Parts: sequence; structure tokens; C-alpha cells
Amino acid sequence: MKILVSLKRTADPDNANKVKVAPGGAKIVTDGLEPKVNPFDEYAVETALRLVENGKTRIAGDTVVVASFGPKEAATNIRQSLAMGADSGLLFTTDDDSLDGDLVARALAKVVEAQKPDLVILGKQAVDGDSNQVAQVLAETLGWPSATFAMSVNLSADKKTVTVGREVDGGVVKLTLTLPAVISVDLRIVGAKAVTNNVTPAAFAYNDGPRFAPLPMIIKAKTKPIAEAPLASLGVDTGLKVRYTGFELPAARKAGIKVKDVADLVERLRTDAKAL
Amino acid sequence: MTTDANPLLSDRDVDFLLFEVHDAASLCALPAFADHDRGTFELTVQTVRRLARDVFFPALRDTDAAPPALRDGAVALHPKMRAMFEALAEAGVLSATRPASVGGQSLPALVATAANAYLCAGNASGAGLAMLTTEAAHLIESFGSDELRARYMHDLYAGRSTGTMCLTEPHAGSSLGDITTKATPRADGTYNLTGSKIFISGGEHDLTENIIHLVLARIAGAPEGSRGVSLFCVPKLRPDGDALVDNDVRCAGVLHKIGWRALPSVALNLGEGDDCRGWLVGTAGRGLAHMFQMMNAARIGVGASAAAVAYAAYQESLRYALTRPQGRALSGRDAQGPQVAIVEHADVRRMLLRQKAIAEGALSLVLAAARQSDLAEHGADEAQRARARRLLDLLTPVAKSFPAEKGFEANALAVQVHGGYGYTSEYLPELWMRDQKLNSIHEGTSGIQGLDLLGRKVVAGGGEALAAWSEEVTLTVTRARAAGVSAAWCDALDGVVAEVGALTIELAARGLAGDVDGMLSHSADYLDLFSTACVAWQWMLQATAAQRAKGAGRDEAFYEGKLRAAQYWFATEVPRVALLARLCREAEDSYLRMAPEAF
Repeated sequence: MKILVSLKRTADPDNANKVKVAPGGAKIVTDGLEPKVNPFDEYAVETALRLVENGKTRIAGDTVVVASFGPKEAATNIRQSLAMGADSGLLFTTDDDSLDGDLVARALAKVVEAQKPDLVILGKQAVDGDSNQVAQVLAETLGWPSATFAMSVNLSADKKTVTVGREVDGGVVKLTLTLPAVISVDLRIVGAKAVTNNVTPAAFAYNDGPRFAPLPMIIKAKTKPIAEAPLASLGVDTGLKVRYTGFELPAARKAGIKVKDVADLVERLRTDAKAL
Repeated sequence: MTTDANPLLSDRDVDFLLFEVHDAASLCALPAFADHDRGTFELTVQTVRRLARDVFFPALRDTDAAPPALRDGAVALHPKMRAMFEALAEAGVLSATRPASVGGQSLPALVATAANAYLCAGNASGAGLAMLTTEAAHLIESFGSDELRARYMHDLYAGRSTGTMCLTEPHAGSSLGDITTKATPRADGTYNLTGSKIFISGGEHDLTENIIHLVLARIAGAPEGSRGVSLFCVPKLRPDGDALVDNDVRCAGVLHKIGWRALPSVALNLGEGDDCRGWLVGTAGRGLAHMFQMMNAARIGVGASAAAVAYAAYQESLRYALTRPQGRALSGRDAQGPQVAIVEHADVRRMLLRQKAIAEGALSLVLAAARQSDLAEHGADEAQRARARRLLDLLTPVAKSFPAEKGFEANALAVQVHGGYGYTSEYLPELWMRDQKLNSIHEGTSGIQGLDLLGRKVVAGGGEALAAWSEEVTLTVTRARAAGVSAAWCDALDGVVAEVGALTIELAARGLAGDVDGMLSHSADYLDLFSTACVAWQWMLQATAAQRAKGAGRDEAFYEGKLRAAQYWFATEVPRVALLARLCREAEDSYLRMAPEAF
């Protein structure tokens, strides 16, 4: 079993309120914010690791490869995934600003051709652009089955299919995909028993959330390979289809009002808010 | 400026202190740290800070509110203490600074101290138990027999047991030469221990099966005073064939503390049934010297915890001040206009900046000491190691006491910024204030630190440590001038270095002439003076890094904040040096003349 996970670095999402819009709205300024792994991509790494483990031990022969696109410094973020337990990294260098969802998806398709994974796992979206496009475009480009917004993944015992629970407005839809396939994961995928592989005992519970990189693994990760090559070496058209024309902050929230009673509330919902 | 959850410490600041001020990356050139690079340091800090935020901090209020009690001789820890300890053990934090030969990661103390500060800020009790365990293992690693190392060291580093330091007795705390716990040799080479210990943190609990006590005791017939004190390893359960049997260590009571409430501090009776076995650690009669390895590490640890607890409370009050609307600007008061956030008021800004100057200055000071401990142990050559040892010895009492003393003041300011709400247990600052108070008491009170500094450290080796310190600070000033830092601050710090040198020579001369009171009666003021100087040094280092980085269009507000905090320190604290020096010099005698009956 070989799993490819794609990783994007984003300005520290824990301090997202420090993000500013440059005067004139030309760009987003993320000054002073450490680039960190997009949280949904961290969940994707965690999902991949749980699929290649028997509880606390690794299944021999299974591998997790992490691919990222960005400046050389993005190797730091790949290394974090290696310290969590991924086996190797691929970094395709380019500027953060020279990427869009379409280009990443087409580039990933080339990576898939070379790496031949059984499964590609991605975060459902990056928390900076919130585009939510890469998994879909990638699956379409490859012609592979895909399931987005996964909140549970069950790998069959014969490793030929995965059954994915997808979060949708009305609840959960279950889809069974034949491998190879593309999955994008949502927040709940890192619940204690959200990922199962018919190897890890049913009684085994993971800690909620993506795992910490234990200190011994951090040193070990230094010896794991990260192959670096320019993005252009993948032979993709590096032109961008998405062009940003301007940025502005959402309007400040207006103060609320107090309503007299329920009848008043219903009336205002009907007339002012036009919600009813 | 952010208004989201309290980060405990500012990640940007920790990054700044580690890499822009204390140059952690340069340590990787030393063979001991060759496996590391900046990346491994960053990932390590990242892992530990996540533990602090996800596991330690969310448990803080709960673990404080329900302290463990003694029932039927047993002490049940709060379940969240178990979660914290197990998470640390699993992440390999307990052995992080130890070499690979004992299963560690050879992490520099500089980086470990910064990382662990997050844990202390999140939950001092949880971090304290871990620190005791690591240092107990380290003592056995350094001085224990192969048998003891095999039996206990790995279990401690792996978190399968916890460790304690048993020094204090009901009648002998600061004065350890007066302890009376007795060790009687047995035919098999072990000892029978009898005596009472008190204030033993983690001395009894249900977290791990065994607890490994490191106990100071007096071998029968040993000389009086500290030369007769030896170090023993006394497990709660001792081996008997393949089994573990009770070793006659009884918990006689749990102290009802006002802070660090989740970590039980207990009274222990050894050998009530005359069946408490101890194993000698290291050389007989060298117990106190051996124990100083643990005590010195613990002193830096206490300083780090104190800086962290002040830091977290500062962050908490900063968030409150940014969002709490109250009152209007003094100028152009418009009763109809909206209220402003209290951060707009000058006095609130003063309280915030004072906290920042203390907390960030204290953390920098502790990291400076930790860096010297790395060089002292792993420096490139003996000359570098010896110089670092001297500096570490000198800085230890300051790094221990300044964060605790001024940190408490900062913690009180965090309560003050919260106004009436701050005086309730609905808000966290009161908790950190209670936790902070212990730091000026345990591991040697501030009084002891003052005597240690003036009576021992600055005069040791003919003042060679102080000479090395003066060199360091003078070099810092030279670099600051080159970077364009305010000439007034540079002149002021040069003046302080000269004053410290002159005053110390004067006081030492009094001591040599036999006038001990004249030398030491103002040891507290001397400690205050030297601490103020050391923190001015740290702010000069930070101002230099900020001045260099400023103007590149990156993080301007962050660097500006550093320069204003430095300005505050030089404007409000450094001038106190003159007064403190006068008190020391004149041996101002109000309290010496104060007979007990005059109180």
C-alpha cells in the first residue's frame, strides 16, 4: 500500500486574525506569521498514517509519501510530516504566489504518474484560499474515483476498496471507491476511531487530532529523504488560471437589537431580515 | 496583537529569543548537538508547545480546583495529571536533553528550556513532576552504580516511574547541613534509613507503580554539618527477588498549598518499621555536592517556570485589555461616544509594558543561563567549558530568583488589569499569581539566592566569574552601539557594569576584613541590583537584535515592541541601581538595629 499526501503551507492559522489586507487591496499581508502546515493537510497525513499502521506499529512494506509545492523553506513543513511518521517527501520548488488550485492538481497528477500510489489523500481545502478544488480537479485529471469531505475511511481487508463517510448537509453519505482513488478529508477524520484498516484491532483508539511528532522521531526524520526539484521539471504548464483582482475585509458587524417578544421577533425576521 | 486564545508564550518571541538573540543554531556546531539543526529545534518546540496548549493548559483550572488528598496512606492524583505525564513520556520529553546512550535526543538545554516553558505556563504542576523525574534520573545517570542505573534510570526517563528530591526535614530546610535522617550500613552494602522528610513534591501518588526518592541522609558516625551528608536512592517499592515489595516509606500527610495544587507536596516517614532500604548514590559524604546537580538544574527550572507563569498571565491580561471596553480617552472626553478598550488608557499600557519587560526579560535571562549550561557541559574546549561553568554558577541564583520575585509583581499586575474580575476565580490570573509565589520559596528562597550570589558566586576564584560576566555585558554593549541602539542605554549599561565591579570589590574587602554584616546585610539589595543589571543586559541583547532587524519591512510592530520594552527597563529600572548600590555601600542599618522587642 502506497499513499501520497499533498501538503500546503499556510500562514499560521492560529493567528489568522493577524492577516491584513495591503493598502489598495492588492494582496493579503501575512507579515510575521510562521508558515505552518495547512491543518486539513495535517489531518490527511494522520489519515494516511492510520491506514498503514497496526495500532502503534507500522505495517511492513506500506509507505506514505508527502508532496508539497512551494519555496525551499517548505521542506521544514514536509519534515514535520516525516517526524509524524511519513516515509519520504517530495518538494517541487516555486513561489507561494505562483500556484493556484488548478496548477497544483495538474502537477499532482504528474507526481501520481511517477509515484503510482494506491491512494491520494488531501485536506479538503487550504485554510488561506479556501478554494476546495485540488482533490476534485486531480481526480478528474487522473480519471480516478474520488470522495471529498471524508469524516471516516475504512480500508477493506483486501486493500482493493475504501469506504468513505462523507459529511454532507443532510448527514453522512457512504461511498465505496475502488482503488486507486482520491480522498479529501474533513475535520472529523482525526476522531479516535474515524480511520480503520481491518488490521488495527477494533478496540484500539487513537488520540483525537493529528499526532504530535515525538522527539525521537524528529531526529529520525532528518535521515528520511526529501527529493527537491523545480516545479517546471514535472513538465506541466505553470500558467495560472486564477487571477486575484482585489482583496477587502468583510464589513464590520453591526450591533444587534433587542426585540420585545416572540411576536416582534417573528415580525422582524419576516420584514427586516426577510428570513421567513 | 491578537484577541484569540491565550498562546501561553508568544511563538514569535520564543523564535526571536532562540534564534535571533541566543543563537541556538550555533550550538549545532558542537559535537554533542551535531544531530540537530534549526529544523529539529523548531519541530521540538512545536511538539512541546502543542502538548502545552492541547493537554496541559486545558487542565489547569480543573487540576487546581481538586487537589489530591491522603486517604489510607495513598494519594490519588487528578486524572488529568496522568494524561499530562503520559503525553510527555510518550513524546520523549523526559529524556530530551540526555544523550542517545541513555535513550535521549541530545537536545540543548537552551531549546529544552524554551520548550518546557510552554508546559510550565500551561500547567506548572504537571511540568514540575516531569522536571523532578528527569533530574532524578539524571542524578542516577551521573552518580549511580551500574545496578541503580539499570534498575531505575531508564524507567524514570521513560516515565514508568517518577522521581523526587528529599532534602528538607521539619527542622532543616534552607540549612541542609542540619538534617538528621540516618543511614545505618547493613551487611549487604545497602543502608537502613530512618527519618522524616517534608515538602516532598510528588512524594506519594498513584500515577506510577514505583516512586524513586533521592534522599539526603547522614551515615551513622559521619561528621556534623554538610560534610557528613550522603545521597541515597530510596524506592517506594524495593526489589526482592523478582518481586517488588514495600520499602517502608510512609506518606504522613499532604500539605494544603495555595498553588501548584495538583502536585502533592507530602511529608514522608522513612523506616517507621525499621525496614526502609537505601542505596548509596555516588561517594559517601558528597551527598550535598551530588545533589547540587539536581538543585542547580531545578533552580534554572524554577526560573523558567516563574518566567513562564508571568508570561502566560501577561498574555491573558493583554487579551483582556484589548477587548474590554471601559471609559473614554482623557482628552476630548465624549460621554456620548463609544467606550474605548482599556488598552487605550495610559496606566493600563504601563501595567502591560511592565509585565512584558519583566516576563520577556526573565525568559531571556533563563535562556542565557541555559545556554551557558550547554557550553559548560559540551563546549568546544576546556577553556570554553570552564568560562561557561563560571558564568552559569554566577547566573543561577539570578535566573532562579529574578523571575520569581519580579514575576510575582507581574502576576499581580495581570490581576490588576482585570480589575474586580481579576480578583475572582472565574479568571485565571489569580491562579497564576498563587502558583508564582512558590517560586521565590522552593529550591532555595530568594534570601538564600542573595547570600549565594554575594557570599559565594561573585567572589569565587578572586571574582573570575564576575570578570567573565563584565566581559560578556561589555561585548553586548559594543555590539549594541554598532547596531545603532540608543547611546543613552549603552552608556547606562556600561555604567552599571562599572558600578557592579566597584561595589563588589568594596563589599568583598569588608568580608575579607572580617566585617561579615557589612558585606552581607544587604544581600537582598545586591541581588536586586545584580538582577536588574542582568535583565538590562538581556534587554540590550534583545534591543540589538530588534534594531538590526527593524526597517526590513517585516514584523515592524514586533521589533518596535521590543525596543519600547527595552526603553522602559532602562528608564524605570536601571536608575534603581544607584539607590541599591548606596544601600549596600552604606550598609544602611535600620533592620540590623531593629531588636526583636522593637517590632
